[in-house]
Formats: sequence, structure tokens, C-alpha cells
Amino acid sequence: MLRVEELRFRYGKRGGEVLRGVSLTLGEGEIGVLLGKNGAGKTTLLECLLGIRRPQSGRVFFRGEDLLAMKQRERARRVAYVPQNIRFGALTVFDSVLLGRVSRFGSRCGEEDRQCTRRVLEEMGLEDFASRNVEELSGGERQKVAVARALAQEPQLLIFDEPAGNLDIANEILILREAARLAREKGIGVLTSLHDLDRALAFGDRFYLMKDGVVKYHAAREEVSGDMLGDVFGVRARIAALEDRKIVLTD
Amino acid sequence: MKRTMTSVRRREACVLSLLALAVLAAAVAGLFVGPSRMTLSETLAALRGQGSAAQLRILRNIRIPRILAAVAAGAGLSVSGLIMQTTLHNPMASPSTLGVSNAAVFGANLSIIAFAGGFLATGNNLANYTVGANPYAAGAMAFLFSTLSVLLVLGLCRVKNYSPNVVVLAGVAIGALWTAATTMLQFYATDVGISAAVIWNFGDLGRATWRSDGIMLAAALLGTGYFALRSWHYNALLSGEESARSLGVEVERLRFVSLLLASLITAVCVSCLGVIGFVGIICPHVSKKLLGQDHRVAIPASALGGSLLLLLADTLSRSAGRGTALPVGAITSLLGAPFFLWIIFLEKEGARC
Repeated sequence: MLRVEELRFRYGKRGGEVLRGVSLTLGEGEIGVLLGKNGAGKTTLLECLLGIRRPQSGRVFFRGEDLLAMKQRERARRVAYVPQNIRFGALTVFDSVLLGRVSRFGSRCGEEDRQCTRRVLEEMGLEDFASRNVEELSGGERQKVAVARALAQEPQLLIFDEPAGNLDIANEILILREAARLAREKGIGVLTSLHDLDRALAFGDRFYLMKDGVVKYHAAREEVSGDMLGDVFGVRARIAALEDRKIVLTD
Repeated sequence: MKRTMTSVRRREACVLSLLALAVLAAAVAGLFVGPSRMTLSETLAALRGQGSAAQLRILRNIRIPRILAAVAAGAGLSVSGLIMQTTLHNPMASPSTLGVSNAAVFGANLSIIAFAGGFLATGNNLANYTVGANPYAAGAMAFLFSTLSVLLVLGLCRVKNYSPNVVVLAGVAIGALWTAATTMLQFYATDVGISAAVIWNFGDLGRATWRSDGIMLAAALLGTGYFALRSWHYNALLSGEESARSLGVEVERLRFVSLLLASLITAVCVSCLGVIGFVGIICPHVSKKLLGQDHRVAIPASALGGSLLLLLADTLSRSAGRGTALPVGAITSLLGAPFFLWIIFLEKEGARC
């Protein structure tokens, strides 16, 4: 579904390279998780895929199409983004979600766009919030609106940056469960960065362990080892089984 | 859900129509007010084409052009301010953020002091200011220099991909440059030259003619039309540059075109009327406070609000100044600033949307 080849990126002309030849692949309907320390290049990589930043070299293919060469609007119809700290401005929840359709309707929204918005609001359990101002909502509710807006784009690939960043545990689980459901039921690919290793191991299918601007390990869920995690995060770690789950123990 | 969204929309439509009615009422009221103290029946007669030649002239060549100027410039400046604030993510951004007003002032002063008045002329010969001076010269020079300034700032900022902070700072720097040049110019000017120049700087709707009204109306309409078509893109910008890009908005192009258009509208208004401050800050903020930031509503609401403020200020200035009309620029601030403060400090339980 998604194939990234040798992506390189630096900020400005003199900045050090943040991405130093990142390569990865993600299969249809899979959940890919980026792991790594702060500054390993996770957010930058996601932003390059979204066209927010332009990498200096490398290629990205999405279902056979060159994602980097696409127009912003074309890309937005395929790939949607739920950023780390979302802001909306003083709009109603309905309009904030409807905004996700802008790459489809351009300047005037139609009935079809409003219908899609209603459907997504319902799916996310937000229908009672429709006429509220997004800025009045709690962090968890806002995050749900962000996911709803991304869904309104009707994307084939959904990119999250730290979806659980500032959520309490209940909302965190809710958002991750929703992402997993989308991948399973709708075949939408999900690519996300995550800090919580236990959550990541329970949630992801494919893991990209990043260190110093490259994907150092590329592993399926069962292949992730304590040594890999230890290397990437610079701590001693091992993976233990608890009931049917894996948890990461660090010292 | 549907019902509540319907009520939100209904409220927006209601406020917009009320504003439109208020603008219409203020415009009509403006017809009847002025230093010449024409009575109600005289004005009505003149409106029907009856009355003395002087009364007809007052109505056709002074009052109506002024009213149209207030509507056009008020809407243009206010919408430009809104667009500047959104595209630059800066609540302090104004129509003149790119140094437009400073450049216009310099252009007009150059025309008045150096060309029409004779540079460094000895003695204060009033004739110099009228002989051979084209009435449009100052305005044309003002427009020329403000356009130059806009292109200069945008050209410079292209290197930095129109990053908002860079644009604001570059605008401040270039604006300071024009102000410095104006100061030098005024320092070497004659007394008459300097007073003519300073008087030009006061924003004054009395300068409006049918022709300048036409130009301002065209600029305001074209600009507002483009902005209205891009409403959703501005809404996307509210959630930040990165989010907007991920939603499919070409942020750099949108920013370039918006800044250019907003600045050109401002340049046209300032060149025709002189500097009218504060409209572009007050009206968009009041509209956003009352109706939320959805640009589908904020653009028309700001436009109508701007027209209304300028109409009210001008009507007040024509009825308060005994025999003369005070500069409208001063009145907008006098009238607008307290209202603005009231709106800002008015703590509402849960900002409405």
C-alpha cells in the first residue's frame, strides 16, 4: 500500500539531516507504528508523507502512485492527518468536520458533503455536539473531532502523530480502538507514532523503530525484541508475556 | 442535531440581514446630514431632482459620493484586515501590515511637496500648489508607492515561503523605511507644503468623487468575491498551516494571493481617501467575537461592519464639525476604540460560535 524509499530531509540549507534515508513499507489495511526517541524524525517523516514538508530526495509510492509528485488537493483525497496538538478556531463541530471535505468540494460544500459529515459524526458518537463550538470541548472530545474530520476526507491512509499525546487513558483507548476498527473494517491503512510501548505492541501490526533519522529495525509484531527497543531508546528493555499480551519491562 | 445546526445558521442569517439593514439605514440617514444644513424637505426635493442648483450639487457631488466611499472603503478595509489576520495567524495584523499606508503617505507627500509645491522652494507660494497640479497626482503617486511596497515585501518574503512572522516583521521594517523617508521629505518642505501634506494624511471621505468611488467599489467587490470563494480555505488555515496543507490547501499560494489582494484593496482606499486607521482591526474582531470565525459568515459580516462604522463616523463628523467635516480617520478611532475595548473585555459565558 505504502512504500517509502530512501527519504532524506533537512531543515534549511545548512541544517543537519533529520531523515537520512528512511525506507519502509506498509501493507493493505495494516497498522504501522513508528517508535523512537524524541528527535528521531518520526513527526518529520509523517509530515513529509503528507506534503507538509518537502523532502530533498527519496520517493513515496501509494498504491502505485507517486505521492510526492501529487498536488496537495489530490494527496488530501488519499491521505488524512490527525496532528499531535489540534486547533480548530471558533467553528462549530459540524463545520470543523465538514472542513475535512474541502479537498473534495473546493469552494462550496454540497448536500453529499453534509451527509458524509453527519454520518461521520454519528460514527464517532459526536452527533449531540454538532452545533457546539469546538473550542469549548475537552481535549478528548477535540481529538475525536480531529479523527472525525480526517474520516470526512474519506482517506485510504490515515496518519496519526501521537494520537494519545494528551489524552487520559479512557480516551486514548477509545481513539486507538477506533483506528484499529477503521483498519480492520474499512481496509484503511493506519500509520502512527506512539510513545507508549505496551499500547503500541497491543495495537500495531508492523513496527518501524527509528533512530537518528533512519528506520533501524523493520519488524512485524512478533519480531519486536527487547534488544531492538533497548538499542533504539538507549535503555535496557525486555519483553514479557502477561496473559495473552506483551509488555515491555525497562530498568 | 439537524435542528440545532439550523438554528445556528438562522442566527447567522439574522445577524447578517440586520447588519445589511443597518448599513442601508445609515446610508439613507447620511443623505440628510451635512454642514450645509439643508432641511428634510429640501433634501427630499433635491433627491427628486428639484431644488436649487447648489442643493443638487451638494447632494450629487458631495453627499452621495461620500456615502458610497464610506460603504466601499469601509468594507474593503475591514475585509482586508480580516484576511490579513487569518493568513498571518496574527490578531494584530491590519490592512496596512505590509507597509501599504506608510508607502502611500510617502508617495502622496512626495507628489505634494516635491513636485506640485516645488522642492525646497523659497517662500510659501500658494499658487505653486494649484498651478498645473493634477488633482489625481497625489493619489496616483500614493498608489504607485504602496503597490511598490507590497511587491517589495512579498518579493522579499518569497525567500522564506511567506512565513507569517517574517511577513509581519518585513512589513514593519519596510513601513519604517517609508516613514523615515517621509520625515526627511517633510523636514525639507516649506510650511505650506508640509501642511498640505499633513492634511492629505488625514483620512477624509470628502475627497471622494464618482470616479474614485467606482475604483474603490470595484477593488472591494473583486477582492471580497475572491475571499468569499476561498472561505473554506481560510477556515482550514485556522487550524494551523500543517493541518491546512493536510486538508489539501496550497497554503503558500493562498497566502500570497490573499496578502496581495488585501494590500491592493487597502492601497486603493488609502490612495483615494488618505489614511483611515483601525477599521480593519475593529470590525473583523467584533464580527469574530459575535459570530465565530467561520469565514463564510465572517467575510460578509466584517464587510458590512466596516461600511457601517465608516458611515456612522462620517455622518457624525459631518454633523459635529461646525461648517466643516472632521477627518473621518480620527472619528473611527474615537468611536471604535471604546466599543472595541468593551467587546474585548466583555466576558461572555462560553464564547458563542
